[in-house]
Amino acid sequence: MTETASPSESHQPTETTPAGDSRLTATSITHRYGELSVLEAIDLEITPGAVTAVIGPNGTGKTTLLRILLGQLTPTEGTVEYTGPAADRPIGYLPQQPSFRPQFTAAETLAFYGALLGLSVDTHTALERVGLADAADRPVEALSGGMRRLLGIAQSLVGEPPVVVFDEPASGLDPSMSTRAFEILADQAAEGTAIVVSSHDLGLVERFADRVLVVHDGTIAGRGSPRELMAETETASLWDVYDAVVHGHRGDT
Amino acid sequence: MSSARTQFRALFVRELQTVVRTRVYLLVALGVWALVVALVATGGGGESGYLPAVVDLLLPLELLVPAVAIAVGYRSVVADLERGELAVLESYDVPAWVYVAAIYAGRAIALSAILVGGLLITAVLIAVSASPDTGIYATHTGVDSPVLFGRFIALTVLYGLTMLGLVVLVSVVARSTRTALALAAGGVVLVVAGGDALVILGLTEEWLSAESLFGSLATVPNSAYRGLVFETVVGVASGVETGYAAARWSALGLVGWLVGSLMLAVGLLGRRQR
Repeated sequence: MTETASPSESHQPTETTPAGDSRLTATSITHRYGELSVLEAIDLEITPGAVTAVIGPNGTGKTTLLRILLGQLTPTEGTVEYTGPAADRPIGYLPQQPSFRPQFTAAETLAFYGALLGLSVDTHTALERVGLADAADRPVEALSGGMRRLLGIAQSLVGEPPVVVFDEPASGLDPSMSTRAFEILADQAAEGTAIVVSSHDLGLVERFADRVLVVHDGTIAGRGSPRELMAETETASLWDVYDAVVHGHRGDT
Repeated sequence: MSSARTQFRALFVRELQTVVRTRVYLLVALGVWALVVALVATGGGGESGYLPAVVDLLLPLELLVPAVAIAVGYRSVVADLERGELAVLESYDVPAWVYVAAIYAGRAIALSAILVGGLLITAVLIAVSASPDTGIYATHTGVDSPVLFGRFIALTVLYGLTMLGLVVLVSVVARSTRTALALAAGGVVLVVAGGDALVILGLTEEWLSAESLFGSLATVPNSAYRGLVFETVVGVASGVETGYAAARWSALGLVGWLVGSLMLAVGLLGRRQR
């Protein structure tokens, strides 16, 4: 739930850029839980029309970083600024394991989220975009885990937010569902949306991400396109990049 | 940007639909209605009139109403937290007060329907079965009347809404539905039984004076409810002042618990993820 925004965060639209040029800029983000430092002086920019993937081992602060970008968590130090046109919903969000009230159908669920924005959502089109049109009238409790994830993706796009944050959209999905989830992200980026996604599926990240941020020990230990990172680490795949950055095994594959 | 009213309406409608579509609430309602009717039937008050029925129901309702409030409200917020929907709602810029107000309003209607339904069924049964004539509308003290029973229903609903406010607060505090259930049950027992016990202890230990008794009782929800019923229902018909409670302070006590619980719930929810 929201309360008065911290001075260190601003998700209010700043109309200094044309429509379709929405971005999130994080500057010197540091976050600590008590004495434990999770993120240290991170700078990054989430740009429109691109899929920016955040990868890294468990417990390195990926979800914390995403929550800070979303404005759900105030960083100990640093700022996050949304720059772009005014939007009903500047930043969309897919949590790691999305779930919805089981008493409602898929279509009703999307209609509810649209109603929060005062919008009448075309639920058929929204569900069709994620391949769930045939399940529109099925109660959430009757959807499989993968279908719920797709419904979550559809929810994250309600209101056409210019920036969307996806936390592990492919986690626990079969290969075809995982690919489908990333295809939707890429399609959305192609329409000009700024996409941030955290994932452990490095094959899909390599295939679909335009930029990759490798988070390790609370810092961004590597950044660039998959190709740039592979060239930089003299490796042949993003998995090898990950291995090189996280474990220091450079160019040995 | 969507207005708070738009967001409230969407959340409120969802809450009502959730309650209507959840069978367990229907079972709770049927159980409560059957229990209320059984209490009056077995207590014998129903055969004598509305006020004897009130006397039969008062003590059981002091315990039953909080139990129903727990059943209706303990999952209200924590279930959204467990599903991750609270985090999603944040991306729709829903203020904490709008969320809490809508959740509370939806559940309050469900709780009120359950309580009013059971007591109205009882009232109808009394009207058709009691003797002497219970069809008299009291215009002065000393006469049994359905109007007084209506007042009893209103006070019971107020008591229920107060307890629901506490349960919603607990649902905000809890991190899982299991914890919410335990906290709600423990919290309500603490407030209901502990409050009375504390007042008695205060009087015997003399850190509460006899003059402050009414004020102290008014701060305990079930004592306030009991006092209001005695003062404004039973006392009216008996024709003499009961001297049991301060009605105004008791009403303020209930409203204070309600408003305080909801304000605290809003504050905690707003700060929870920061």
